[in-house]
Amino acid sequence: MIEIIENNKLKAKSDTSELEKIREFVSLKASEFGFSSAESQKIALAVDEACSNLIKHSYKYDNSKSFCLEVETLDNNFTVKILDKGIPFNPMSIAAPDMEEYFRTFKRGGLGIHIMKLVMDNISYLPSNEKNPYNLLKLTKELH
Amino acid sequence: MKDTTKFGISKKRVEDVECLYLKGYLDAHTAPILENTIQDSLNNGNFKIIVNFGELDYISSAGLGVFMVFIEDIRKNGGDIKLANMNEKVFSVFDLLGFPMLFDIHKEENHLISSFGSVKNI
Repeated sequence: MIEIIENNKLKAKSDTSELEKIREFVSLKASEFGFSSAESQKIALAVDEACSNLIKHSYKYDNSKSFCLEVETLDNNFTVKILDKGIPFNPMSIAAPDMEEYFRTFKRGGLGIHIMKLVMDNISYLPSNEKNPYNLLKLTKELH
Repeated sequence: MKDTTKFGISKKRVEDVECLYLKGYLDAHTAPILENTIQDSLNNGNFKIIVNFGELDYISSAGLGVFMVFIEDIRKNGGDIKLANMNEKVFSVFDLLGFPMLFDIHKEENHLISSFGSVKNI
């Protein structure tokens, strides 16, 4: 079950049934920060894509595992941090697809990362290390 | 069993076209339901499919990916998947990734029923 730990933090289990509440949480926080409804929904979409990938690829749909979301704001920047203990995977290591070629050759997959990059202004990734057991994905959008 | 309360599909047959009406949220949780429904249509030899998004409130790449899974096979069999009646929010996700390049996307479903035979090529 989804658990809102503090005002800006949420814990979710590694299960796609959690995505709806994750979107609601992110969309609400983005709206409170000042983004329009359409922009807030796009940010929630980008976070949905990141979490869907995490559940599928890093946790292999193991719903005994969980991850955390934290919203951080600084000046005009709205950041969603996603912390997990799954298999490290850096979405920034994947090149953006050429969509014309993608459609011409009927490719599959990889669209979630593309959406994240198109929607957010900055994405960074830090895999876990000896000092920090969590992988950290940061998705940032600037409010104009 | 998946919780399907936030996503649903109803079907209607118009001549030789299978019309699927989606409602709710189409994400990584519910996309397998749509995938199974389209697979059933193909198994029954139905390759002309219209998907009506009139009551769909949300789509992520998992939903978009379902159409990529089937489109090549469907067109090889002389059919197509045509998309209709999206709200602005849902269309903006298709548009963001350039899906109008490959798929016929129309405001009205009625127009599409007579349009099979013309397939969008890049």
